[in-house]
Amino acid sequence: MGATVGVYFCHCGGIITEKIDPEVVRAAVLRLPEVAYFTPISLLCSEDGLGELTRDILARAPERVVIAACSPREHERTFKRALAGTTVNPYLMQMVNIREQVAWVVDDPAAAAEKAVAGIRSAVRRVARNLPLRNIEIETHEETLVIGAGPAGMQAALTLAVAGRPVVLVEKAPMIGGLPVRYEAVAPNMECGPCMLEPMMDQLLHGDAARHIELLTMAEVTAVKGFLGNFEVTIRQAPRFVDASACIGCSMCADACPARAPHPYNCGFDTRPAIAMPFLGALPNLPYLDPATCLRTTGEDCRLCEQACPVPGTIRLDDREKVIERTVGSVIVATGAGLYDCGVFPQLGHGRVPGVYSSLEFERLSSPSGPTAGQIVAPGDKAPERVAIVHCVGSLDAAHQDYCSGVCCQVAFKFNHLVRHRCPEAHITHFHRELTMPGKEAGRLLAHNLEDERNTFVRYERLDDLRISDAPGARRVEIMGGATVRGGEFDLVLLCPAMTPGADTKAIGAMLDVATDRWGFFEELHTRMSPTSSKVAGIHLAGTCHGPKDIPQSIADGLAASASILASITPGKKMELEPIRASVLEGRCSGCRVCLSVCPYRAISFDEAAQSASISQVICQGCGTCVAACPSGVIAGAHFTSEQIYAEIGGILA
Amino acid sequence: MSDTTFEPRIVGFLCNWCSYAGADKAGSAQTPYPPNVHVVKVMCSGRVEPEFILDAFRQGADGVLVLACHPGDCHYKEGNYRALSRSVMMRELLEQFSIDARRYRFDFVSAGEGEKFVEIIGSMVRDVKALGPLGSLANRLGGAKAHHATV
Repeated sequence: MGATVGVYFCHCGGIITEKIDPEVVRAAVLRLPEVAYFTPISLLCSEDGLGELTRDILARAPERVVIAACSPREHERTFKRALAGTTVNPYLMQMVNIREQVAWVVDDPAAAAEKAVAGIRSAVRRVARNLPLRNIEIETHEETLVIGAGPAGMQAALTLAVAGRPVVLVEKAPMIGGLPVRYEAVAPNMECGPCMLEPMMDQLLHGDAARHIELLTMAEVTAVKGFLGNFEVTIRQAPRFVDASACIGCSMCADACPARAPHPYNCGFDTRPAIAMPFLGALPNLPYLDPATCLRTTGEDCRLCEQACPVPGTIRLDDREKVIERTVGSVIVATGAGLYDCGVFPQLGHGRVPGVYSSLEFERLSSPSGPTAGQIVAPGDKAPERVAIVHCVGSLDAAHQDYCSGVCCQVAFKFNHLVRHRCPEAHITHFHRELTMPGKEAGRLLAHNLEDERNTFVRYERLDDLRISDAPGARRVEIMGGATVRGGEFDLVLLCPAMTPGADTKAIGAMLDVATDRWGFFEELHTRMSPTSSKVAGIHLAGTCHGPKDIPQSIADGLAASASILASITPGKKMELEPIRASVLEGRCSGCRVCLSVCPYRAISFDEAAQSASISQVICQGCGTCVAACPSGVIAGAHFTSEQIYAEIGGILA
Repeated sequence: MSDTTFEPRIVGFLCNWCSYAGADKAGSAQTPYPPNVHVVKVMCSGRVEPEFILDAFRQGADGVLVLACHPGDCHYKEGNYRALSRSVMMRELLEQFSIDARRYRFDFVSAGEGEKFVEIIGSMVRDVKALGPLGSLANRLGGAKAHHATV
């Protein structure tokens, strides 16, 4: 090749030239056969400097450019933008870091000049092999699929809808609001759960932005295919047997229904008719029919609900499952969490000893919309006099969940508050390993509980040391560890289990190709820096589906996930991605699939027909790990090809 | 072998996000260090092919350095783990080429560890100076070039 490279040498206002003599560098650089000219500029990043650079490039028309200046981390983007206004493609420019890595660290001027020359020589050789690249442009759909209508999912859907973005909100349950909508109170300030969520649910169902939200309850996403900006989604919606547009929410169908089954939203403590509201106050204000309970399933021609309904045609006994297909640009997973199974600890007696309840069970047993209408009763239908609250069930234990969920203590003290409020004389004993009450508002609740004279705190070491036995007339909690046996007899024992990955997490993860972490929660792209992005571009995570959280954190997650969608996808505009990506050279892949196993982003798929690996230009992040791993050397890493790197090495050592 | 005027040439492969930024940090702090290490920036240490290292030795480098993000800090999640496992293999391979494994160093440098970067450069240059020039040993690597990928 001829002398086609223009070299620009920034003085950095004298900072670089204080150490490196530009004339020494000029003489050496002009001897390189590829170099057409050497232009010093006093301060390249300044407005004057950038103007000088672009004018000089336009006048001299080099094919490629080397800029010796500060770190590329400082101004590579500045110079790339400047080059966009010239005839030189921004990727036909190579920077040499002669400030941070030469002028500022090499004391001897001769050694500094020599190192600068070696760097420029290396860049000149490399730039000769650089290829012109353009940003990758992709079409994107502005619609978003939100999976789960708990606090995080609702907040995400609302935020997007308020911005005018269409949302498909898919909820498995017949009602929205997630778990907290079933709570009597929410720690630490004891607001009632439904009351706190009501304004948000109202906005979602009836607000101005509701027209942008397609809410699908009793529905599950069964397939998601595609990539960032372009996902094809399949949703299956179970029949509700009630016409949502006609129902007036009077519940006369429920009153008429003769069938009964354990109530799924009251943990089975009472029964519900085959057709009824999920629970009092559930939204949308619509009953649903459970075909497993309905007498028609057993062959009876019962139509009592239909006959009782004051609006003819509302009950649709012939309703069927619907398969709904949508195309979306982004997905927000907000599927929530589960609770550690208390049955894993047989010595705690859960499910065996009457009066021993898990936290979710007690939420319902203390809720006005629950089976006891909010009356706190111990077995024998009496007000409890002595209550035990066991913290850390399954938490902080390497054999179970090794983390602290950070919310169970708040739940425990909330229960204390509820019991104290309704049974003022009750003695309450907290059995705990640690007491964790973070956050500016929680301190008061903790202090209040600690100061309560009828409260006792007992620290235990291992959950295995705790025994809850069914002594005649009462439950007995004993701590067996240590020299003394402590404990006592209680009317009620409340277990506060760890927050765990939701039961569906694994299946949803497999469907979305979103990885789960070692605890089984969805894994973030980066737990600290990208805490609401999954490792799959375009699929976001919000709420407790990716780790234990309280309600404010879940709401913040919903806002963050929707904000990142609003920031990345603009309706009517193509999304631009940097071209530093890997690609498989056509027809050269041997089919060994090594690259598939090393890609951290699952950007590589295997085309069985062509027997070749194929890299998604949208999902690839350009790390180049697959390029290095390919035993055939047939994956090209754009802007970091092996040829370019060999040239760089050769230039240094020439 | 010890030559007091010998200035080794060392090629350093640094990842863009952590170790290159660590080197810049040393620069911003204006901490002087020997000029012997010339940096090749890659987006991720996972991009560094073993062949790059062999090629550097073949072309006359007296030492090669690969610096990566600390475990758990990789911008690309796992590239540094690939680089780490390759480094184990690399040491064995270099011994087979009769290249003292002390001429090759793999380490972790974060964006904040300017001082650690300076310390690594200092000790690497000292070690390689003590070993002397790689010299004609490079010729033994002549055959390795034939295996280079040409992409």
